Order: sequence, then C-alpha cells, then structure tokens
Amino acid sequence: MTNIGIYICHCGTNIAGMIDVEELARKAAKLKDVSVVKDYRYLCSDPGQDLIKEDIRSMDLDRVVVAACSPRMHESTYRKVLSEAGINPFLLEIANIREQASWVHSEKEKTTEKAFDLVRIAVAKVKKDESLESLPADVIQRVLVIGAGIAGIQTSLDIANIGYEVVLVEKEQSIGGRMSQLGKTFPTLDCSACILTPRMVEVSTNPKIRLHTYSEVEEISGFIGNFHAKIRKKSRGLNPDLCTGCGECTARCPTKVPGEYDEGMGKRKAIYTLFPQAVPNVPVIDRANCVYITKGKCGICKKVCPAGAIDYELGDEIVEEEVGAVVVASGFDPFDPTSKEELGYGRYKNVITGLQLERLLHTAGPTKGEVIRPSDGAVPKRIAFVQCVGSRDEHANKYCSRVCCMHAIKNALLIKEHHPDAEIFIYYIDIRAFGKGYEEFYKRTQEHGIKFMRGRVAEIFEENNGNVVVRADDTLLGMVMENEVDMAVLSVGMVPRSDSAKIQKLLGIATGSDGFFMEAHAKLRPVETLVDGVFLAGTAQGPKDIPDTVAQAKGAASSALGVISHKVLELSPLISEVDERLCRGCGDCKDICEYGAIELITLDSRNAARINPALCKGCGACTVACCNGSIKLRNFTDTATFAMLEAVLGGEA
Amino acid sequence: MTEFDPRIIAFCCNWCSYVGADLAGTSRLQYPHNVRIIRTMCSGQVFPSYILKALELGADGVMIAGCHIGDCHYVSGNKKAEERFRMLLGIMKTLGLDARRIRLEWISASEGVKFANTIKEFAREIKELGPRNGGKE
Amino acid sequence: MKEYASFLGCIIPNRYPGIEASSTRILGHFDVELVQINGASCCPAPGVFSSFHLDSWLAIAARNIALGEMTGKDIITMCNGCYGSLTEASFLLKGNKELKEKINGILSKVGCEFKGTSKIKHVIEVFSEDIGVKKIQEAMNTSLEGVRACTHYGCHFLKPAEMKKHGSSERPRLLDEIVEASGARSVDYKDKTMCCGFGGGVRARNLDVTLDFTREKLNNIISARGDCIVDQCASCHLEFDRGQVEIKKIFGQEFRVPVLYFTQLIGMGLGMGQHELGLDFHSIPAKPLLDKLNGGRR
Ligand SMILES: Cc1cc2nc3c(=O)[nH]c(=O)nc-3n(C[C@H](O)[C@H](O)[C@H](O)COP(=O)(O)OP(=O)(O)OC[C@H]3O[C@@H](n4cnc5c(N)ncnc54)[C@H](O)[C@@H]3O)c2cc1C
Ligand code: FES
Repeated sequence: MTNIGIYICHCGTNIAGMIDVEELARKAAKLKDVSVVKDYRYLCSDPGQDLIKEDIRSMDLDRVVVAACSPRMHESTYRKVLSEAGINPFLLEIANIREQASWVHSEKEKTTEKAFDLVRIAVAKVKKDESLESLPADVIQRVLVIGAGIAGIQTSLDIANIGYEVVLVEKEQSIGGRMSQLGKTFPTLDCSACILTPRMVEVSTNPKIRLHTYSEVEEISGFIGNFHAKIRKKSRGLNPDLCTGCGECTARCPTKVPGEYDEGMGKRKAIYTLFPQAVPNVPVIDRANCVYITKGKCGICKKVCPAGAIDYELGDEIVEEEVGAVVVASGFDPFDPTSKEELGYGRYKNVITGLQLERLLHTAGPTKGEVIRPSDGAVPKRIAFVQCVGSRDEHANKYCSRVCCMHAIKNALLIKEHHPDAEIFIYYIDIRAFGKGYEEFYKRTQEHGIKFMRGRVAEIFEENNGNVVVRADDTLLGMVMENEVDMAVLSVGMVPRSDSAKIQKLLGIATGSDGFFMEAHAKLRPVETLVDGVFLAGTAQGPKDIPDTVAQAKGAASSALGVISHKVLELSPLISEVDERLCRGCGDCKDICEYGAIELITLDSRNAARINPALCKGCGACTVACCNGSIKLRNFTDTATFAMLEAVLGGEA
Repeated sequence: MTEFDPRIIAFCCNWCSYVGADLAGTSRLQYPHNVRIIRTMCSGQVFPSYILKALELGADGVMIAGCHIGDCHYVSGNKKAEERFRMLLGIMKTLGLDARRIRLEWISASEGVKFANTIKEFAREIKELGPRNGGKE
Repeated sequence: MKEYASFLGCIIPNRYPGIEASSTRILGHFDVELVQINGASCCPAPGVFSSFHLDSWLAIAARNIALGEMTGKDIITMCNGCYGSLTEASFLLKGNKELKEKINGILSKVGCEFKGTSKIKHVIEVFSEDIGVKKIQEAMNTSLEGVRACTHYGCHFLKPAEMKKHGSSERPRLLDEIVEASGARSVDYKDKTMCCGFGGGVRARNLDVTLDFTREKLNNIISARGDCIVDQCASCHLEFDRGQVEIKKIFGQEFRVPVLYFTQLIGMGLGMGQHELGLDFHSIPAKPLLDKLNGGRR
C-alpha cells in the first residue's frame, strides 16, 4: 500500500490565477492511494517545505507529488525535503503546472483540467518510482596530464601547488612544447625562453609532480575517479639516473642530421638534447642515425661519457599509474604547406614557414638569431609574409588559426628592429588583432613602416637568382600585383596533431569537424569533455595563443581538482540496470552505447550484459535496443510510461 | 455536439525540448491546451511502443521531441530516435493509421517559440484530421 | 583490345583533324580502338552555354552522353571543352535526382535518356592509365632528345578540382610525364597553369583580351627557351596556333612557336611524318622543331 501526499503550489497568482486550485485539490484527493492533498501560497518557501516534512512524518507518507513550477527549478529542493523527512529522495514527482499550464493557457477551466492530467501523470509515475541510492566511488587523488607544453606545465603546476600529485607525461625528450621553439612572444616581445624556462624548472623540482618524458600513454582504462594508465618510457639509449647532462657525448658525436626541433633550419647530432635548457637535461640517442647502432662502428659517446651512462642496448620500460582525472594537453601541429602547391613550399628554397622563421630569430637557434635566407645565406632585405596559409581556406581548413596574424606582425617588427632598412610586406585577408594589447601592437608595427597588403596570395614563383615573386590580388587597389622579394614566410596555421586519433581512441573523447578535441559545451563547459573526469587544456582543443592556453590550462586544473579533491564521489543512480536473469547476451546494448559502459560477461556459461555504473550516463538508448526488456533505465521504465499513459488517456481515477 | 478537442502526448527530452517547453512558459507564449508532456531523459530513450501504446489508448496525436541532430546530450540518441521513427511510420501504415498523427521534432532549449508554434500547428492539423474513433482509424 | 566511343566535338573535325588522326593512329598502335558516336552535336561549350541557360546546356550535353552510352562503351574526348561539358553535366546529373528527371524529360522528346552508365574520360587518361608511361617510353623509336617542350594542360581539364580529380590541380604531372616518356624534355615556365585565353566566350567577344593572355603565355615560354607548346585540348590548340597569327596582326609581335597536340609529339617519337600527324594543317609551321630534331640527329 502506498501513501501519497500531493502538494499544490499557488506560486502567488502565477498558478492560482489561471488554475482553480481548490477544484484541482478536490479532484486529486479522489485519486487512488492518495492520502492527503494540500495547497499553499509558496511551497518552495521554508514554511511550505516544513508543511510537507511534517505530513511525511505525521502521516507516514511514502511518496510525494508536488504540483508547482518546472522540475528544473526546484526538483532538488523537494528531493532534499524528502530526505530530511526520512524518505528516499527519488520517491518524488513534480507536475509542472506553471510552465506547462498556467503560463501558457488562458481558459481557466481547460487549464485546470490539464493541470489535473499533469497531476494524474505524476501520481502514476511516483507509484512506479523506486528508492535509489547514489553510488559512492573512491577517488584516486592524483591527476594524469598528457603533454607538457605550456598548457600541460601550467595545469600540472596549479594542481601540484594546491598539494595534489600529478603524473605528467611528455612524448618528446624535453618538456616545453612549441613555446620553447619560439623566439619572442607577442604582444610584449618578452623572450619565450625567459618566461618558460623558470616554469619548466619548477616542474622538474616540484616533489608533487612525477615527470615521465620521452614517454607515451599506451593504455588507459577505468572511469572518473579511478583511471589506470600504462605508460611506455622509451629508451634514451642511456641511463638517465647516471647522466649528469655534461654534454660531452653530443659535442663529440660525429654524425650530423637536419634537426626537427629547428624545423630543418639547422643540424643536430645523433645523440642530442632539443635545446640547451632542456628539462630534463638528458640526451637521447637517435637510433635511426647513430652509426654505432646502425653499423656497429663508432661508440665514441660511450667512450667519452664520464658517468658511464651510455647503454645502447637499454630497452623501453613500462610504468603503470593510477589517477582520478585526466587532462589532455597534447597541443597542435603547424599546418604543412606542401599541399598548397601554388605557394611553392618545399620547391623554392626561399619560401619558409613562420615556425622556421621563429627558429632563425631565436638567439639560441641555428643562426643565433640572425635571419638569413636558406638558398645562399644572404640577409634578406625584402620579405613577404603570406597570411592564412592553410587557414580560412575552403581547400584546407575553414577555421581561423588565431595566432598567425600576430606572429607575423611580431616577427616583422623584430626583423625591422634589427634591419631598419628591410622592406616588409604582410599579405592578409583581415588582420585579427583581437587579444588584449594586440590592436595597439598592430598599430605600432604599422608605424614602423611595415606594409600591409590586403589580398590573399594566389601564387608564388621563383626567379633565377632565388628570389621569389609573390602574386596577389590587392583588394584595396583592385589590381593583381606582383612583388619580387628575397624571401617569403608562410604564416601557417594550427592543425590537430597528426597522432591525435591515438589519444582520442585511448580516452574515448570526441573531435569536432575541425579535428581538434571537442569540449562538452562550446560556451559553458569549455574544458570538460563528454567523458567524465577527462579535461582539455590548450591548443589540443583548438587554435589559441599563449594567454588563452594558460587560461584554459588553469581552468582544466581547477576542473580536475574538482574531481580529485574529493575522497569519494557520488555517482548519479539514474542509470541503466540489467536483469541478468533475463539477458540473453546478444550484445545489441553494448553496440549502441556511446560510452562503452556495457560489457559482456560470462555468467553460468552464458553471456550477459553488465553495466559499469561509473560510465553509464543514463541516456536509456540501451533499454530500447534490448530485445527482451532485460535492461531498464531506473525510474524511467516502460511500465512507468505505460502507467502514465493509462492515467492520462485511460482516465484512470 | 461539442467541438473535437484532440488529445496529444508529447515526449520531450530532458535536455533540450523539455527546456524549450519551459521557455515557452517563462516567455508566456500561448499555445493550445491539448498537449500533455511526458519527460524522458533523451529522445533515444523513447520506445516505439510508447507511441503505439498512446495511440492504442486513444491519443489523437503523439510527438517525440529531442535536441537538434549533433546536439543530443548523449551524443547520438536523437539519431537513434530518427531511425526508430522511420520504422514507426511504416508500422503506422500497416495499422492503417494516418502517419500525420505522429511527429518527430527537434526543439532546442532556446526554441520556446518553436515549441509553441509546433504545438499550435500540430493541434490544428490533428483537428483537421478529426477524431480517431469517429473516423475509420 | 580496348574500345572507346570517341566524342569529337567541333574544332577537331573542322579545324585540326590532325588531333584525331594522330590520336586514332597511336591508340591503334597500343591496341585501343575508337568508335564514332553517331549524331553527336557540339558539346556545348561548358562556360558559355551553361552561364546563359543551364538546362539547355545540360540537355544538349546529356544528349551527347546518351548517344555515347548507346555504344555501350566509355566515352573519350580529345578537347578539354568537350571533356568539361560532358564531365560536369554527368557530375551534376548523377548528383541530383530531380535535375536528372527534368533533363530526361526534355530528352524523351528526342528518344534519348541519360543513364550515367558510361564513364567520361579525356584521351590523356587513356594514355596514362590504360597504356601507361612505361609502355609509351618503350615504344618510342625516334629520339626527341633536346626538344624543350612547354606543356599546357588547359583549365577545363583541371578545374573544378572536385569534379575532375587528376591529382593536383595546381601542379599537375600527367601531361609532363607523357612528354618526358616521349623523350622530349618538359621545361617549367612561368604561369604554366594559366588560361590560354580562349575560354569563357572571351575569344568571341573580346579578341584582344584573349590574345593578351595568349601573348603573355607565349612570352613566358620564350623566356624559358621552349621549342614548342604541347597541349591536350583542341581549343587551346587553336588559340595558340591561330593566336600567333592574330597577335602579329593586332600587336605586331611575331612568335613562331610550334604547337603540338600531345599525340602529335608521341607520333614524332614513333617516327610518323608531318602529314600523317596532320601537322600541315597548322598555321604555325612545325618545321623549326623538325629541323632541330634532324639537326640533332646529324
Ligand atoms: C610560428 C608560431 C609563433 C607563435 N608565437 C606566439 C606568440 O608570440 N605569442 C603567443 O601567445 N602565442 C604564440 N604562438 C602560439 C603558441 O605556440 C601556442 O599557443 C602554445 O604553444 C600552445 O601550447 P600547448 O601546450 O597547447 O601546445 P604545445 O606547445 O604543442 O605542447 C603540447 C605538448 O604535448 C606533447 N604531446 C603531444 N602528444 C602527446 C602524447 N600523445 N603524449 C605525450 N605528450 C604529447 C608535445 O610533445 C608537446 O610538448 C605561436 C605559434 C606559432 C605556430
Ligand atoms: S538528450 Fe535531447 S535528444 Fe538526446
């Protein structure tokens, strides 16, 4: 026997003005299993809530229906009322007679009739509701951060400084990411290394941060609060614990190959660190180019190493880590302009990318900060910047990469300061100087005599002397213009990392149409993903500059802390449930589940589906897919729905 | 004789369409009183049998409303709803029911106006179709 | 043996029969036979007609395709204009059911139906895909060494790229590979993929604008020390050949750059004669080129 109490709110005149509350109460009182019906001016007020509590206690009510505003307003309020009065909070239903009746209709009689139907539906439903308990889950109070560019570094430091442990995994041999490749940064022109290196050192000395460099996450399983990661630490060909970072090996290594870190603008050795301030300052042997490894000859580094750290045979190591939340900060790749064949990158020596120019401008770069052109090493006097290469382009990426306008302006200004007689042209579609201080910075470069040419570059071709001719439609003059320059710099945009599909699969997170990882909501949940406990930071989520990257990284840190600062998480009990006795193990539910929450288990030598309560989001898709009704979504069952339909259509009294 | 006053059931998903209906309320938009809303977590949680049951019990029209494609809170529930709805249309034919009695609509949380207009239009159409038991259906 | 239905269009039979002659002969050499499409009309020119009245253009193009389909073979064209018309029409009709029904409604009056069963190919695709550069290279019996050829692809073959799909539309390689297989050298020149000047009805309306394009291309070819132009389109062919005569008349600048359809170049490498290749129908004599070759051999 159930004992239902119905409470009707007047909401001042909001409800009572259009609904005959007394009539409604009279009708409702006749419904089966209803013990009490009361109406009140403002039910959500403290005395209103007390009214319900008292009735529950004194009349032994076991279920409650509130006829008031939308459940989206006060469902949680009334749930608490039930809890406090000692009954399960899920034995509550709300009849939305304000938003769905009194506010949208204007005939009192009909509206009252409708309100009664809504109450009938709620009564039918509440009879079918079951008591539910939220599921407690222990939380491992550590965070895994994937990628140690400025985003990953900032997230890790923020979390560690609050006092929680971080496992920071970086694929390259040093942390720092793309920012470490940059010379100076807009709009303040402070040197990238000067602001980045102190943070890198902080990471390496913070006892709360476990740093795995030259490493990659290979497997990840589990769910919010409880992830298990397998990390491969690739062999550096030497023992990092013995290495002192003296650099003797690199200095003496006889093999030179074009350096990836220098974007091919300089050479590196076969045993090398990425840059002088690398963290950790431990080199790596490039196994593809080491003469000892490929041909069995040389072995100089081993001979000269004073610490005896070199060990060519050293294998990879697998480490396992347990964490409660994951932050993906894997960054971006620069767009490869070879596919824009009309621009001649890769064919003409004096067509380079913006990132290559960054390396040339870097005081610790291959030319010690001197900008020279690749074909003959001459100092270019006329330079053209080509904007939006691979961005805002129907044939490449439709989006704006957000940093290229500013880095072209920055580098143009730097060159101009070095060589005031240099002539610099920036070919643009629009200049997007949107950030704080950016417009002012743009103005300043204009005052330095840098020429802004409004028009997309159609084509670049080479002259015999290595100069390149830039052809563009100057949209201000309305003419096609050709301009012979010593060197052209392609302001390439940002694209998702070529290996980002691996992380996507690993974590089950989504990517948008642009290929970057997708946030849970474009405006209101910019660092969350649709996978609980997995967050995004920096350019892995979309093109952005350093200030925005850092801001998002801090957001990701606080979101991750929001998970792991709890010892125990309450998981919503409104999820699907399998009746394993009925389940015939066909697996249709498993196939339809977007969250990988269902697995097939063996049960008395037959298959059956089992739901992982931590992964299930309660969408109910599986319940419809189930061929014999052995899965139900708790408190949203078919029997409940049929009861509601019968109540309203069958006119059950 | 009293005027035909159709009974319409609307299954609205919790994240978009139910919120859209709430917005119609907070915006005080007026629409016909004929509709009764049943909240579901997602349009992908609506069994085809819910619609058939409603019709069996005498509903004159049934609507499923969910988030726009691409916006489902659970990624793709609405796509599943769409497929199932197509199947339902076939069943309607077999049963000799007019396919115009069921509807699938995408109504976002910000589309209060669309919610109100959809109900207006649906109610008008059902009125034109006339009562079910009065007709041959 | 492979067979294709050959769609000739207007310019080839009326102005440059050498294009058909050389193509048919050489394809025969490689075991590819051509059959005629009976009753075919003008393609009609893709840019001009379609911009005046899309449905008329589509209907006429679809009729030509329908006639080709009746042969049961895939269709080839030797002119980029024809290629453009037939490919684009087929692309549009295949992608739009309503449009197809509408056009077939028109065609039903003349007892035709566009089905979309025949592929539309440019003859150069037969050379690169069916025959292959390796076979061409092996078949050459006369050296073309020292010939500096400047290739011209023509716009309607390359663009719109999503309909044409021949690898890169900015730096195509197809024709260059065939030229190199013939033993000649393909030399790069400025604005290689620029329009010859013929297209879009400009030639009929504004001859001097057209010729300005042509002249610029010719100047670039001269700067690159090209011996000849090698093209793959009857319209471009006409533009470069007749254009040189007209440029002399209007601008007073004289060029004498021989113009070869690519099968004419291959024919030279197979030892075929001037007449056999139809070179004597050209306004600009190929003699300087032939002399250079003979000189080289001596
Ligand atoms: C030419 C150029 C100039 C620029 N100049 C400026 C400027 O002046 N001012 C400014 O504000 N911004 C500038 N930017 C933008 C700036 O570079 C970025 O905003 C910033 O570097 C983004 O940092 P991030 O940490 O998101 O990504 P990244 O720097 O790309 O870092 C990502 C890190 O993750 C690692 N990683 C990737 N995948 C994995 C994996 N699977 N496992 C482990 N680790 C992984 C990578 O190795 C890398 O270290 C410039 C960009 C370019 C291209
Ligand atoms: S949540 Fe609205 S349709 Fe899935």
